[in-house]
Amino acid sequence: MEHQILGNPDYGELAVRLASGEKILIESGAMSRVSPELELKTRTLGGVLPAMGRKLFGGESFFVGEYSGPMGGELALSPSLPGTVLHRRLDGDALYLTAACFLACTPGVRLRTRFGGLRALFSSEGAFLLRAEGQGELYFNAYGAVVERDLDGEMTVDTGHAVAWEPGIEYTIGGMGGIKSTLFSGEGLTMRFRGSGKLWLQTRNLPATAGWLSPFCVG
Amino acid sequence: MRTEILPNGAFHSALVHLGPGDAFQSDSGAMFRASSNIDIDVTTRPKRGGGGGLLAGVKRLLGGDSFFLSTYRTTDDGEGEVGLSPTLQGQVELIRLDGSASWLCAGGSYLGSDADLALDLRFQGLKGLFGGENLFFVEVSGSGELLVNAYGRISEVPVDGELIVDSGHVVAFESSLSYRLSKTGSSWVHSFLAGEGIVMRFSGRGRLFVQSHNPKEFGSRLGKHLPPRRQ
Repeated sequence: MEHQILGNPDYGELAVRLASGEKILIESGAMSRVSPELELKTRTLGGVLPAMGRKLFGGESFFVGEYSGPMGGELALSPSLPGTVLHRRLDGDALYLTAACFLACTPGVRLRTRFGGLRALFSSEGAFLLRAEGQGELYFNAYGAVVERDLDGEMTVDTGHAVAWEPGIEYTIGGMGGIKSTLFSGEGLTMRFRGSGKLWLQTRNLPATAGWLSPFCVG
Repeated sequence: MRTEILPNGAFHSALVHLGPGDAFQSDSGAMFRASSNIDIDVTTRPKRGGGGGLLAGVKRLLGGDSFFLSTYRTTDDGEGEVGLSPTLQGQVELIRLDGSASWLCAGGSYLGSDADLALDLRFQGLKGLFGGENLFFVEVSGSGELLVNAYGRISEVPVDGELIVDSGHVVAFESSLSYRLSKTGSSWVHSFLAGEGIVMRFSGRGRLFVQSHNPKEFGSRLGKHLPPRRQ
């Protein structure tokens, strides 16, 4: 499989060329164009029950599309949000993703759904996490540009800005300072990341965009 | 007349240089600056071709463009310029028509054109209703320059044979291409379950411009965070 990421950091998209028999799993609705030789099937992401949970509680998609063909072919994928497309090759290691950041993977990557904990109650984005592991290519996307950090210690991140992190990192949910600052600073809930490994953050936050835009959406 | 695209990251705009006797038309509201010798004439009627009048205006509205077209000319015998900015955040592309083939612009992708080019609306009928995005296409013919805009990046995809494109990504294509509404893969069920629904299956040989991002997908993600619309 060959891939090309175009248009980062503002309008990133992914173009993929599949060889004969190769497969790719993609986020629901992400296909923008595809050669007619490729066949589409649907799969549940991380099993039926977790998919149902994500659909009911997180508003994420129940199915993912699986493209493949005996002659191979080309397809292009675009995330629903403008921003950056990222690629990571998994070689037996794992990565945590907020579920809304998943774009595509090859079948060697196993995806399991994890409930995001308290976060789910307060943040409609990324109520669920995906744990991706195995062998293969993983593509994910961020809203806006991406900040990549090699964490060794602690970092506090607004819940709307976390994209992905390596399993060496744990997190807890907390407020920024006391209850007063949580209520009045506009920072809301934060994730305290602790440990060592890579951490990816996005520079924009969808609920914040919506909050800014909504007074102008009249009629 | 000379048309220039000013690229600024994700936010392109266009600058049209007009000489004496030149005329350029755009989607009304697209003009954001003009030199002082520019006269703007607002009409519901394309200069040539099409039925014109109110009906044409209504058709344009349904096509996703605004009701009116603005036509720009210089009032003196000097040079003038008009800056056009799209509503969408993304790229602007210049298409040169040599008279041999006409182009079809989807939804709100028409930005402006040389006033010598004829504009018409092509009703897509049931195809338009079920395609979900484009009830009308703006058909542009003749020879001159055409500006299209998009949500995100524009890529040119040459078609020779068949290609499936999500209707939310189509910007403009040569009329030598035909399309029909179709499913992705061989099963309607899988096409809907995978979130692709009805797509456009292009065939023939010609040029096609697509946009990297789909306004409908962005809207459905953003909409979940917006308060419900007042009735």
